[in-house]
Amino acid sequence: MATETTSYTCISCPIGCPLQLEHEVDTIREVAGNNCDRGAKYARQEFTDPRRSFSTTIPIAGALHRRLPVRLSEPVPKDRILEAAQRIHLLSAEAPIRCGEVLLRDLLSIDGIDVVACRTMLPLE
Amino acid sequence: MNRRYDVVVIGGGPAGLGAALAALDAGTESVLVVEREPEAGGILRQCIHSGFGLHHFKEELTGPEYAERFVQKAIDRDIDVVPNAYVTGLALDSDDTRLVRVLSERDGLSTIECSSVVLAMGCRERTRGAIRIPGSRPAGVLTAGLAQKMVNMMGYLPGRRIAILGSGDIGLIMARRLVLEGCDVVGVFEILPYSNGLTRNVVQCLDDYGIPLHLSTTVAEIHGRDRVEAITVAPVGADLQPDMSKAWRETCDTLLLSIGLIPENELSQSIGANLDLVTGGPIVSSSMETSLPGVFACGNVLHVHDLVDFVTEEALRAGRFAGQWARGVRRPPDTVSLVPGRNVRYSVPHTLSPDRPHTIYLRCKERMQPCVLRVGDLINKKLSFVVPAEMIRLKIRPSLLDNFYGDRLTIDIDPRD
Ligand SMILES: Cc1cc2nc3c(=O)[nH]c(=O)nc-3n(C[C@H](O)[C@H](O)[C@H](O)COP(=O)(O)OP(=O)(O)OC[C@H]3O[C@@H](n4cnc5c(N)ncnc54)[C@H](O)[C@@H]3O)c2cc1C
Ligand code: SF4
Repeated sequence: MATETTSYTCISCPIGCPLQLEHEVDTIREVAGNNCDRGAKYARQEFTDPRRSFSTTIPIAGALHRRLPVRLSEPVPKDRILEAAQRIHLLSAEAPIRCGEVLLRDLLSIDGIDVVACRTMLPLE
Repeated sequence: MNRRYDVVVIGGGPAGLGAALAALDAGTESVLVVEREPEAGGILRQCIHSGFGLHHFKEELTGPEYAERFVQKAIDRDIDVVPNAYVTGLALDSDDTRLVRVLSERDGLSTIECSSVVLAMGCRERTRGAIRIPGSRPAGVLTAGLAQKMVNMMGYLPGRRIAILGSGDIGLIMARRLVLEGCDVVGVFEILPYSNGLTRNVVQCLDDYGIPLHLSTTVAEIHGRDRVEAITVAPVGADLQPDMSKAWRETCDTLLLSIGLIPENELSQSIGANLDLVTGGPIVSSSMETSLPGVFACGNVLHVHDLVDFVTEEALRAGRFAGQWARGVRRPPDTVSLVPGRNVRYSVPHTLSPDRPHTIYLRCKERMQPCVLRVGDLINKKLSFVVPAEMIRLKIRPSLLDNFYGDRLTIDIDPRD
């Protein structure tokens, strides 16, 4: 069977190595161009199930600022980022919130992907 | 807030907080941090994406999480942090006391006495005036960092249809951020033939969302009377001048500028610290001391860093020396000056002392791959690549300088095959 090459840019660190992944249909043969193991892992993941993490904000009442920054505990499938962001934007919070507090479990019904507060916000005195 | 401290730190970002903690570790009794915002933490409070802390904490944190760890440490160590307070001036008293003039919301204008001072005021963004785009002056033209603060802290969108001039990392990150908030991002326009931001940010902030990056292209004109209605963009030639015969119009209501950062040095300048024309920050010795005795500097006020981890590393050093100074330690002046050579835009600190280990930060002028970094005849280090967007960090062991009797070391980056 013919071997095909798919190219990626590794985003696991600031170097940004250009990666080439050789595959026969769905079977990965080889990864080249990576400076370290994380690059090979990234290319395999990108080929089989590309995922991304992101941060966004939700409204918060009674705090110094009007927005609370939140992040994901685990990356979501790349093609569901916008859906995930829209779901998170339905949330709202009220001070006090502690950094690390889970605001929503199993985002998009995916086990283990939680929405987590990235800072503490105390109530205004 | 008391009237007298061992060390006063100006600015409560990661640099200021790191320096304050290190000054305490050096054995000082009292440290004051003056912060003009309502809370400490600095610019990281608005940088909600992750990628911070891999060096310092060995885990990937968001900006607010990184900042909070330092704010918490400052609280745990009883460091006085005065928010809503602005340092307006600094003077040297006859008996080696430094006088810091603080304008605060709570106490009005006051003068604080201290032995040493750390400058940690961070940086600010270049604005449109700095590059002068022709056209009208409608609302809707703002810096990417201001947009970041509006979206991530204040809860406003700067507009609905966004164009971004300049491909700095903050602009790239805001492109993704605004798409997640439901805006259209029409494109990023970069005058140079390569992106100013990291490749990973081009991939994960633009490519992932189908946002076009137009290289060798600039915004030639802004249209709209009250609000931005459109921009004219045009490719540029080798002389960086727009070729209007190939210009086109992009409809948008907002133009974000992501054209670089400059150290915030009005204060340093007004107190007479010598500045480096390239970095825009003070000239410092290997103990991070400026040309003013007992006044130290670290973080983005010294030179613009791309990784906050290195800000922390530098701040811990500046704070330690400021603390030692407050305790009466006086060091002989450095004997070796460090000079940027071929393909080196700048290096910090500006001088070295043979008796201590040093960490040097430098930036190249242009991309080179592969290359070799040389420090006089002492260091010969092979690097796989260098890019201006990424600061280079270099350690020098004291033993290296043992047999060096010169007074000047030049740093060069040369190609190798
Ligand atoms: C818009 C923007 C986005 C950035 N994004 C990233 C990023 O994504 N990743 C990254 O690693 N780095 C980023 N940086 C660089 C980042 O700033 C540094 O990593 C780090 O935050 C610098 O720390 P600092 O303490 O030197 O400066 P800052 O965090 O800017 O802190 C300086 C503090 O000093 C205060 N101050 C200034 N003047 C005075 C005065 N006269 N009196 C009292 N207080 C004063 C300010 O209010 C501020 O809180 C960004 C910088 C900017 C400007
Ligand atoms: S392969 Fe390794 S070195 Fe290259 S970009 Fe990925 S993580 Fe960085």
